[in-house]
Formats: sequence, structure tokens, C-alpha cells
Amino acid sequence: MTAAARALYAVGIRPHFRWRELGLLVVVSAALVAGWASLSSFRAGELALGEAGLLVSYLALAFAIHVAFVITGRRMDQILFPTATMLAGISLLLMQRLPQDLVEQSIAGRDLTLAPLQLVWIASGFVILAALAIFVRSDGWLRRYKYTWAAAGIGLLLLVFLFGEVTGGARLTLRIGPLAGQPSELLKVILVVFLAGYLAENRALLSASSTRIGRLQLPPLPYMLPMLAMWGIALAIVIVQRDLGAALLYFLVFLALLYVATRRASYVVLGLVMFVAGGAVLYGLFPHVQDRINIWIDPFSDPQGAGYQIIRAMYAYGRGGILGTGLGAGLPQVGNVPSIPAIHTDFVFAALAEEMGMLGGLALLGLYALIAQRGFRIAATAADDFRALLATGLTLVVVIQAAIICGGNLRVVPLTGITLPLISYGGSSILVNGAVIGLLLALSDRGVEPPPPGTRPNVVRRLGRRARGLGGRVEEALS
Amino acid sequence: MDVFTLSLWLLRIGFVVLIYVFLFMVARALWQDLRAGVSGAGRPLGRLVVIAAKEGRPAPGTSLPLDAINSIGRDVNNSIVVDDSFVSADHAMLTFRGRAWYIEDRGSTNGTYLNGQKVEGLLPLGYGDELQIGQVRLRLERSRPE
Repeated sequence: MTAAARALYAVGIRPHFRWRELGLLVVVSAALVAGWASLSSFRAGELALGEAGLLVSYLALAFAIHVAFVITGRRMDQILFPTATMLAGISLLLMQRLPQDLVEQSIAGRDLTLAPLQLVWIASGFVILAALAIFVRSDGWLRRYKYTWAAAGIGLLLLVFLFGEVTGGARLTLRIGPLAGQPSELLKVILVVFLAGYLAENRALLSASSTRIGRLQLPPLPYMLPMLAMWGIALAIVIVQRDLGAALLYFLVFLALLYVATRRASYVVLGLVMFVAGGAVLYGLFPHVQDRINIWIDPFSDPQGAGYQIIRAMYAYGRGGILGTGLGAGLPQVGNVPSIPAIHTDFVFAALAEEMGMLGGLALLGLYALIAQRGFRIAATAADDFRALLATGLTLVVVIQAAIICGGNLRVVPLTGITLPLISYGGSSILVNGAVIGLLLALSDRGVEPPPPGTRPNVVRRLGRRARGLGGRVEEALS
Repeated sequence: MDVFTLSLWLLRIGFVVLIYVFLFMVARALWQDLRAGVSGAGRPLGRLVVIAAKEGRPAPGTSLPLDAINSIGRDVNNSIVVDDSFVSADHAMLTFRGRAWYIEDRGSTNGTYLNGQKVEGLLPLGYGDELQIGQVRLRLERSRPE
């Protein structure tokens, strides 16, 4: 043991080295530097790194978080964080490449444009990620108050219904004073926390008992109510908010979690039947649902109107081909008009696939597949049902959302406007997805290193114990 | 082709290739992970952790590995022997049947309780649920990955 290590032990810090994470972060940095150099060189017409300040500060933050993980000695998954770093880094690169005047906002008296703003969001998201990963040690606060979470979620939804502002045809944005956000992003996490709590508690009942009607075996009827409620909420979101993407995401995550908890295909079949029935009714009633289906089947039926976005995206894939045009060489705008509307949010996948080609697009999907694998692995090794369902749900929220929007951009499924997790521009999206990865990391923790005999207990744990003592005294005083 | 165009092309391809290097490194790590997982396939289905025992036997914190069929009782022929004076010789049966765990009382004198509720017939239970047998409280948990 070196002197430095002994000094750390003396103050109660037991570092746990994370060589695999460090190695992967080095590869991530190399890839991002290569990408940045390729973009700046193309723009300058000679080999150049351009203004690398954004990239350098981003990488510095990522390594700082790595060091924080090492020092706090938690034994978390070592692959999730580098994967998130790669995704957010690609995001930063794309935002740097797109026309900067797509978004302008002033924060703390400084007028920022697209790329610096995105860096602000990513940095805040990563701070949330690190804070959750380091400080969340117990899941009691999530498990115990599941109905409170559900109530908060429904309250949030109602607030949007009543006071929401319309963004891109959907009622999404909630504004409180100077702060504006899209609560549907936060709502998906609240939904997962509630469902994990509810299903973990009623899992055995849901999977074991059944209602019989003749020869038909149906799930127990009283426990079907939450399913109906969920279906109703999804429909309400479509009707009131006109937000098809969020409704689809919530309902799919719900069905998947129900299946994971009970292993009963009948729930899934029933849910899909309800989904198709609801979809058919909505298609008949609402023109915006009809639009989405029609431009999916034939975008050229309205090439200058509803189909414009998808047609431009298809041209972009064609220009990109297999290897792509190279960063900076694509065609994101014609004159002053972006060639694809919403290219920095909903259609960021098209921007990536044009300049990095099919190979780049596939690599991106591969990165999401990694998140899926790690998340499900964390779920499979979780100590109890609540943690397993929570990890599954958090993973599904990210992965299904990526699948819905990539599929929409590629015209595999009807287009619905949601963000590509950790890539699209947007504060709410980046912050919430950072929090999701942070929670997954916290869930993957296998406890701090067992203390070597004869040393003092961990500083953090000691502080926690003192805080709990204080909390207990406050509770007593109040009661 | 001049030097600049060539190096720009190399940078551009290098970027995508490095992302694939990242994916490859992770895939290799996952492969090692999976192989380690396969070698641990013989591990028990779950475990019972002793939360509290009035008479101190078995000691709280003890972890009892589970098979698919576990008989619980004071008799030494049970697969899980609980040496507590309120436990019957053949007390309860804990089984794993395809998709879930089930607990069944075997006519014990003092009964078996699942989350504070008396067990009658066959009751399903999940990881995290609590059993009381005699004066011993046990929690069903997944077995640890290592």
C-alpha cells in the first residue's frame, strides 16, 4: 500500500479503481476528437481543431465524474457511463455541426446558441447522473412513496393539460416563471417508479390467479383496473395533448413491464388488442392521427405539406449512403431554411445518418443496444423484485423511446415527435435521461468495498448515519 | 488526391471506426461477463435470509441457499432445519414451480405467516417477501451473482 493510499484510508475514503471504464473513456475521447477534427478541418479547408473549448470541457467533465466514482469507491457498472459519454459526445458534435441559430436563449445574462446551450444541458445532466449514482444508496424513498409519485405524475399531467403551451402542434411545454420544461419527459420516469412499486407488490397475485369465463382464462379482473387506467391516460394524452409519441412510449413500457412482472402473454395480447382498438377509434376521430398514418404509408401524397419532413429525411439518407458525406459536408439547410424541420430534435437521427452514413446510424443503434444489455443485466442480478422491475423499466424507457423515434425517422413506424435520448437537443430530455442512467448505475452498485479490518468507517456512511439520527429526532419532535 | 483530402477522409472514417472499436471492446467485455455467468449457472435459485430469530438460532444475517423443493422444519431430515422451539418437526414447504415461488404449511402447530398473513393452502410469493416460521423471520431473496 502506498503512502497516498494509506492517507486516503485514514480519512475513511476507500477508492475502487475502474480500469475498464477508464479504458473505454479513452476510446470515447479518441473517437470524439477524431470527429471534432474531421468537422473543423472540413470547415477550415486545412487540418484544424477549430474552437475545441466545448469538446475539451465536455471530456474534462466526463473524466472528473470517473474520478469521483473511483474515489467514492462504489462498485457500479463500468460500461453504462462510457456509453452515455459517447452518446452525449456525438450529440455535442452534431449540435456544433448544425446551424447555430436554430436555438437562441440567454442563461445568466449570456446569449448562447445551439452547441454551447446543449453543452450546458449535457453538463447539468451529467452532474445529476453522477449525484444519483454516488449518493443514492437506498431505494426506500422510491419504493415507499409509490402512490405519492403516481399522484405527482398525474398532477403534472393535469398541469400540462390546463396550462401547457403548444410546441410543434403538441401541448408539451410548461412554463413556470423563467423556467420552461417538458414534463412528459419527467413523467415517464415517475410512471416507471410507480409501476415497479405496484407490480412488485402485486406480482404474485397478478401472475397466479385468474378469472374464468367459460374456457377462457382471463387475468383477475380487479387487477385489470390499473391497466384500463393506463390505457385511458394514454388516450387522454393523445386527445388533449396531441402527443402521440409520449402516449405510445408510456403504453409500450407499461405492457412490457406487466409482461416482465407476470410472464403472462395474455396481458400483452389483451393490451395490444386494446391498443389497436383505441388506435382505430382515434384514427377515425382525429385528423392529426390520420395525417401521421397517411404520410407514413405515402409521404409523397402531400410532398410540400405533411410529408415534407419525411421526404427530406429520405433524401438525406440517400445522400449519406453507407459511409456518409462526412461531418460538415451534408446539406442541413438550403439558403436559410433547414432542409429538415426539427433537425436538431426529432430528426437528429437523419442529420447523423446523412453525415456518418448507414455505418454511423448502425453504430448509434449499437450504443442503445449496449444500454439495453447493461440495464437488463442489472435487472437480472437485482436483489429483489422492486429493483429488478425498476431497472427494467428505466432501461425500457430509454430504449423504446430510441426505437420509436429512429423507426419514425426511417419510416419503419409512423412518425411521432419524441426526442432521441441523450442525442436530441433539449434541456428536459437530456436532464431526465441523465437521471435515468444515474439511477441505473446506483441500482447496479454491489455495495462499497468491505472495510479492511481496523480502519474507521466510511466518511459518507458516517455522515449518513448522523443525518438519519437527526431525521429521527425531527420526526419524534413533530409527532 | 492531395494530402488534405486524404487526411480528412481518414479522420472521417476514423471517427466511425473508433465508435466501432468502442462497441467491439464492450462486446468483448460482455462476452467475458457472460462466460463468467455461465460458469456460475449451478448457483442456487434463491436464498432465505434470516432477519430475526428470538432464540438466536439460526443467527440473524445467515443466508440459506434454496433448491427447487425445500422442506422447512425442526427435524434434521428437512433440507432447511430451523432449530426454534416454536417450529414443528415438519413445518412448511417452499417450492419453485416454473415461474414463481410457493409456500405451503404442512400442518404445523403454530402456523406459517407470509408478510404477516397466515398461510392456508398454497400461496405464491416473490423476492423480498417475508416469512415467519415459529419465532424466526426470514426474507426470500435472489442469490448473489458471485
